[in-house]
Amino acid sequence: MTETSTSMPFSRALNAGMRRAMRDSDRVLLMGEDIGRLGGVFRVTEGLQAEFGERRVLDTPLAESGIIGTAIGLTMTGFRPVCEIQFDGFVFPGFDQITTQLAKLTYRLEGTHSFPVVIRIPYGGHIGAVEHHQESPEAYFTHTPGLRVVSPSTPNDAYWMIQDAIASDDPVIFLEPKSRYWQKGEVDVTARALPLHASRIVRRGTDVTLVGHGAMVTTLLQAAALAESEGVSCEVVDLRSLSPVDYGPILDSVRRTGRMVYAQEAPGFTSLGSEVAATVMEKAFFALEAPVLRVSGFDTPFPPAKLEGLYLPDADRILEAVDRSLAY
Amino acid sequence: MTALEDPRLVRVLAPDGTLAPTPEAEQYLPLVEALTDTELESFYRDMVVIRGFDREATNLQRQGQLALWPPSFGQEAAQVGSAHAARPQDHLFPSYREHVVAHIRGVDVIDIIRVMRGLTHGGWNPADPRNGNTHIYTLVLGSQTLHAAGYAMGLVLDDRCGTGDAERDEAAIVYYGDGASSQGDVHEAMVFSASYRAPLVLFLQNNQWAISVPVQTQSPVPLVRRGDGYGMPSIQVDGNDVLASYAVTRRALDEARAGEGPRTIEALTYRMGAHTTSDDPTKYRGDDEEQWWAQRDPIERMRAFLAAKGASDAFFAEVDEASRDFAADVRARTLALPGPSREQIFANVYSEPHPLVDEQRRWLEEYESALEGDQA
Amino acid sequence: MSSQTFVLPDVGEGLTEAEIVSWRVGPGDVVAVNDVLVEIETAKSLVELPSPFAGVVGELLAGEGDTVDVGAAIITIVAEGTASGSAPTAPAEPAPEESGGAVLVGYGTGGHVQSRRKRPIERPVAASVGVVAKPPIRKLAKDLGVDLTDVVPSGPAGEVTRDDVMRHASQASVFRNIETPEWGQVREETIPVPAAPEPELPVAADGAREESIPVRGVRKAVASGMVQSAYSAPHVTVWTDVDASRTMELVKRLKSSPDFADIKVSPLLIMARAVIWAVRRTPMVNAAWIDGDAGANITVRHYVNLGIAAATPRGLLVPNIKDAQNLNMRELARALEKLTLTAREGKTTPADQQRGTITITNIGVFGMDAGTPIINPGEAGIVALGTIRQKPWVVDGEVRPRWVTTVAGSFDHRVVDGDGMSRFIADVASVLEEPALLLD
Repeated sequence: MTETSTSMPFSRALNAGMRRAMRDSDRVLLMGEDIGRLGGVFRVTEGLQAEFGERRVLDTPLAESGIIGTAIGLTMTGFRPVCEIQFDGFVFPGFDQITTQLAKLTYRLEGTHSFPVVIRIPYGGHIGAVEHHQESPEAYFTHTPGLRVVSPSTPNDAYWMIQDAIASDDPVIFLEPKSRYWQKGEVDVTARALPLHASRIVRRGTDVTLVGHGAMVTTLLQAAALAESEGVSCEVVDLRSLSPVDYGPILDSVRRTGRMVYAQEAPGFTSLGSEVAATVMEKAFFALEAPVLRVSGFDTPFPPAKLEGLYLPDADRILEAVDRSLAY
Repeated sequence: MTALEDPRLVRVLAPDGTLAPTPEAEQYLPLVEALTDTELESFYRDMVVIRGFDREATNLQRQGQLALWPPSFGQEAAQVGSAHAARPQDHLFPSYREHVVAHIRGVDVIDIIRVMRGLTHGGWNPADPRNGNTHIYTLVLGSQTLHAAGYAMGLVLDDRCGTGDAERDEAAIVYYGDGASSQGDVHEAMVFSASYRAPLVLFLQNNQWAISVPVQTQSPVPLVRRGDGYGMPSIQVDGNDVLASYAVTRRALDEARAGEGPRTIEALTYRMGAHTTSDDPTKYRGDDEEQWWAQRDPIERMRAFLAAKGASDAFFAEVDEASRDFAADVRARTLALPGPSREQIFANVYSEPHPLVDEQRRWLEEYESALEGDQA
Repeated sequence: MSSQTFVLPDVGEGLTEAEIVSWRVGPGDVVAVNDVLVEIETAKSLVELPSPFAGVVGELLAGEGDTVDVGAAIITIVAEGTASGSAPTAPAEPAPEESGGAVLVGYGTGGHVQSRRKRPIERPVAASVGVVAKPPIRKLAKDLGVDLTDVVPSGPAGEVTRDDVMRHASQASVFRNIETPEWGQVREETIPVPAAPEPELPVAADGAREESIPVRGVRKAVASGMVQSAYSAPHVTVWTDVDASRTMELVKRLKSSPDFADIKVSPLLIMARAVIWAVRRTPMVNAAWIDGDAGANITVRHYVNLGIAAATPRGLLVPNIKDAQNLNMRELARALEKLTLTAREGKTTPADQQRGTITITNIGVFGMDAGTPIINPGEAGIVALGTIRQKPWVVDGEVRPRWVTTVAGSFDHRVVDGDGMSRFIADVASVLEEPALLLD
């Protein structure tokens, strides 16, 4: 890795970011199933155990609650653990430790101790995976006070946001769009462009604001390109931080365009998109020409992989919502 | 109920207070004999004072001063013995009934009262030296066993154990009950601590009941056998015998801190009171059983033992008075506790500033100030 | 405290009541703190309640077998060393009330709800960047083809209101669909005037290409009235521009005044009062030229039946407000409102339109500054209120944007001479400039 901007896949960027964090502080520790010798099922932690040893990169027993619970105990001796949950669908055995313990301990201890645990979770569809390997569980975590939730969409963001998540004194759920692990992008290793909890306008437009996170950002950009050819100019916002949400750029955009479409892989009922839509309607009421529309996964369990193309919002589904919005 | 006559059982003090070590207890006698009279008297004093405190707290609940009280009544010996066995540098993880343990390690019992009174979720700062490295109570059953396992793993990674210097090497002890022992987290804690050879003692107080469910529903075989399955030494002790409780815990902790890995202890005791003040044991257990255990009371047998050793009536009277004074002081301090402030709702949700929390704190401030009768 | 009261606590996390099973003490008994006072039965269990106080039992406030609500007093205990006969004071809440005011733990979930809400303070809605308009107004604007950025907002938060859109629509509709052609290459164009052909008598409508509207009813009457008026009375029109900012301000204040909360207030109201006032000073405008067998008369009226020209579904009508000079501001506003509503519903009666003495025509709604209105038959003057809009004006030597309008009037020159009509129009304009003149 050179000291300038360089092109690398998303998973490499994560690897580089963690490597840098581990070099910067010997309190940073990685733990998870198959992350050491194998380097992780997505190879995100490849080479790290070789460099830092078994005391800094732990292959844990196969027990998610155990991983999170012991990570909590490790912070009490001064470590900053970065846990890997192998797949989105497997976070649930650890859900209790995340929500009743990790999220609440600082509050319960009245601020006398912080719990700087990062929980990395590969999420989302588009890889033709089996059950429990393609979900988007962000709403369970954004709904839990005490947790921070973020999701990078580009290798550059992956590189910087993993470091910032590790540096945060709060628990961070770090959602990695697994369908983007092998996509390459420019990474500027010299300077971070944005703070961890900032959202970003990634494409300028005038007619409709499109909002999403992680893998969805690419889909939104595809939709925007198609819309352009039809004479509709879309602005695209990458949420980046799901909790807290940085509403500044979103509201600025909506006040200019007057219309918004939020797209997410997760089922729509009581989703993050619902929260963002309600808040935007409240804060930009007078600017809205149309109600905020949501394009989401259907309210069913994630279907078998052969059906995911129909299930997941794609450019056409997003444009359908754009059309509806423009009709107002 | 679990038989107290399992051949693995370690007991030194018979229910009538005479020294009658079981076969398994022989190996622990040197540790018992090393205890000084002062230490023995302090064991007794601690048990009596906290039983008095426990009763006072129950009364306070009945008088509307506390929302809830989970009594430690009947479990004093297991807690006193094990807490005294821990060294100053050790870290203790209670469940929610270890009032005796907390008191011995230096936690002000009024901090426990504050939790049960609805003023705070935590009560004290485990990092404050005066609290003797005692973690706060955990109400989700068994969760703390994983936290303790992680802590012990941290000790291994940082070489804070296993050097051979017992004064310096650290260990952790986690308390949980027979009900919690069925929870997955407890098993995962055993898996992790065994896998990393962590200096952790898992101390199970089998008080025979998980609210209304008898221990037989949690396991058809003695719980002490679980540790064997996870590859760690497992000791069963008469939890109403403060001397045996002390000795087994002392050795287990010292072996763990020396690098020999985790251990489990099953302390057989009895929950003399209800699960909490919301519970009614008359609905699921009988007088006979309670009477049977009352004859094996931990304080009575220690009293008999000390009396036989020559402790004076004046000593016992002084302890009783100290217990009454302690309880009266707790009562007075409880009634004087100030209410929480509105800011507490929003304080410490995160370690770093958070815009949504800040926004809502400001909102509530404005909202409350526009109402009549500001409720600070 | 001489007497302390123990109220029933919630002993089991959410209980609302309990039954008194048996009292263990009676009045006069000496009790210490924690002595058992009573056994109660709750939904969950039998519980003994220990005494929170030391002293002598005063009164048992509930009987065995009674069901008592959590929070109700059950026993009084008189502190030692005080007279047992002293009257019980108000129930003494245990200490937390003294120390922090927090709701006492253990006093259950139910009970009496008290609202602490005061009347809400008026909070202005923060306007966002750009046009401020609620969604229904946006829809209305879109349906009417109104560009919101052109509309002057008059809402309290700076938003465009429904009225703003409606007013703008009626003004602007005239200008839609008219394109301004570019200047062409040709500098002059000669148009031959062909010899006048045989006058072609108008024929009946040619099917789909033309529409024939028979002249009947109101239109016929109005048309003949106009012809008669225009070609008998020599019309002279005078006009003046005036800074009507103070009138706009007054209208705004009246609108938000509770006295006018339910009445429509507009600049027309002020104009009406202005006309009535100005008539007093120049009575000749409120007259009529009457032709008679013995020659002509000018009848000067000393009352004002104020006509308001109204475009209605039936056509142009001029109903009038009888004896408008007797009405105060509110009454006049009501009368104007009623007149307008009636006209809009097409219910104006002939009587409404008869015996008018002077008329106002509001051409401002059409976006016009001024015009040469035709006098209503039987009258000698008609005043036109033009559109009121922001224009540069010189105030204290500086050019500033002010609300400017034109007041115009056409008069029958047989009745009103030049200085009369000028004075009259000037008077009306001065009221618009300084409505305080109406306080005369």
